[in-house]
Amino acid sequence: MMAIYTLWGYYARWTARWPMLAAFIPFIPLIAIWAFIVWLELFPRVFLPGPLDVIGKAWELTYKGILGDYLIDSLSRLAVGAAAGIAIAIPLGIFIGLNKRAHEFSWPILLFFQAIGDIAWLPILLVWFGFGLTTMTFVIVYTVLFPIVLNTVLGIRSAKPDLHRAAQSLGAPRGRILLEVTLPGALPNIITGLRNGLGYGWRALIAAEIIVGTSGIGFLMFDARRAGSVDEIVVGMIVLGILWYIVDSWLLAPIERATGERWGLVTK
Amino acid sequence: MKSLALENLSKTYFDPYRGTQFTAVKDVSLNVEEGDFVAVVGPSGCGKSTILNMIAGFVPITSGRILVGGREVKGPGPDRGVVFQSFALFPWKTVSENVTFGPKMRGVGKAERAKIAEEYLALAGLSHAADRYPNELSGGMQQRVGVVRALANNPDVLLMDEPFASVDAQTRMTLQEELTRIWEERRPTIVFITHDVSEAVFLANKVVVLSKGNVLEQVDIPLSRPRSWDRLVEDDDFKALSNQVLQLVRSA
Repeated sequence: MMAIYTLWGYYARWTARWPMLAAFIPFIPLIAIWAFIVWLELFPRVFLPGPLDVIGKAWELTYKGILGDYLIDSLSRLAVGAAAGIAIAIPLGIFIGLNKRAHEFSWPILLFFQAIGDIAWLPILLVWFGFGLTTMTFVIVYTVLFPIVLNTVLGIRSAKPDLHRAAQSLGAPRGRILLEVTLPGALPNIITGLRNGLGYGWRALIAAEIIVGTSGIGFLMFDARRAGSVDEIVVGMIVLGILWYIVDSWLLAPIERATGERWGLVTK
Repeated sequence: MKSLALENLSKTYFDPYRGTQFTAVKDVSLNVEEGDFVAVVGPSGCGKSTILNMIAGFVPITSGRILVGGREVKGPGPDRGVVFQSFALFPWKTVSENVTFGPKMRGVGKAERAKIAEEYLALAGLSHAADRYPNELSGGMQQRVGVVRALANNPDVLLMDEPFASVDAQTRMTLQEELTRIWEERRPTIVFITHDVSEAVFLANKVVVLSKGNVLEQVDIPLSRPRSWDRLVEDDDFKALSNQVLQLVRSA
C-alpha cells in the first residue's frame, strides 16, 4: 500500500513538472498490451507489426526525409485551408448571429450543406477541379467552415441580455457593444468551433489525400497499403494522433486558458 | 443628479400563449425629487421590475411618459445608471475596467480613467481588487463593483433592480449600510426596486407600495441618518414603519 502511495507521489510531482509526461503515461499500458498481443504471435508480423517495428519504420522514413516532407505538405495544406475557412467563417457567423433575418434565411441552408459531409463533395470536385490542390483546399475550407459558423452564431445569440443592457445604459454605442461585450462573450463558443473545425478539417485532409493525393500523410498511408507495408500505415496513424494532440494542447488550450477559463465562463 | 417623473405610465404585454393582453403597469404616476432615495416594493408580479425596465429604456412604454430632469426618456442612455440583480459585470474586464467602462465609452482618456477607477474603488472599499476579474470576487464584492460602475458614469438617476437579492444575509446588511453611506455622501437620485420590506424601509426616504400595476400607497420614512442595522433593528419607529409597509404589501 505504502509503495503505491509513494509511486503516486512521484507521478504527481513529475507530471506537474513536465505536463508532456502526463500526456504520455496513459499510453504506456496501451503500448504494453499491443506489444503483448504481438508477442503472442496470434497474427503474422506483416499483418500486425510490434511497437519496435513501427519505431524502426518511423526512423527510416524520417531518415529518408519522406516523413518530414509529407508532414510539411499536410500541415501547410491544413494551414491554408483552415486560415481561409476561419477568415470566412467568423465574420459570417457574427453577421448571421447578429441579424435575425439573415439567421432565419441562412440556417436551413447551413444545415443542408453541413449534412453533405466533406468527402461527399469529392466526386464532383474531382470532376470540376481534378486531382490537385484546389480540390483539397475546397474540402478543408468546407469542412472547417460549418462548425465555426454554427458555433459563432450560437455564441453571439446566447449573449446575456443583462450584459447588453448594462453596456447600453453605460452609454456604449452599438459597434462598441459588439466589440467589448458580444464578441468576448462569444469567444468560448468560437474556440469550440475552431477546435471542432480544425479537427474535422484535419480528418478531411487525410481523406482527401488518400483519394486525391500525391503527397502528405494520408497519401503515405494509402501508398503503404499498396506496398503492403503495415508498419508504415501504423506510423501514419500515430503521426496523426500526435499532431492533433500538439495542435490542441499547444494552440487551442492555451487560448482557452487565457480567455474563457480566466473569466470564469467555462469550467476548468 | 436630476429629478425623475413618471406620468400616467402603462405597460401592456401581449401573451402569445393565451392570445390575450396582459397589463403589467397601469397608469402609474410618481415623482422622485432630485437627490431623493425612493424604494419601490410589492409582491412578485406587481410590475415593479417592468417599471424599472421602462425607466431604464430596456422595454418600450405602452403609454405615458418618463421624464429625467424634464427631458423625455427614449431608450437606454447613460443618464440613467442601472445596477442589476445579476450584477451584469463584464467577465472579460478587470474590476477597474468594469468601473471605467462608462467613461471609456464617453471618450474619457486613460489617465483620467485611472483617477476615476481609483476614486470609485476607494468608495467601494475595493482598491485592492482593481486588477482582478469579476469571477475571482465574492458576490458581495461583485455587487459593490456593480454599484460604483453605475456611479462612476455620473448618471442623473441611479436605478437599482433588487441589487442585493442574490447575496447572503450578512453581506446584504453590510451592502445596505454602505449604500446609505454613499447616498449620504453624494446624494444621487435613487430608485430602488425590492421585495424586501425591511430593506426598503432601511434604505429609502420614501417607500412606494405597488399592487397589480398600481401605486397602492406612498409611505414617508423620516428615520434619522446615518442608518445602521445595529441601531435600527431595535428601533421602535423602524419597526412600526416596517410593519405598516408590510401590512400594505400583504394586502396588495
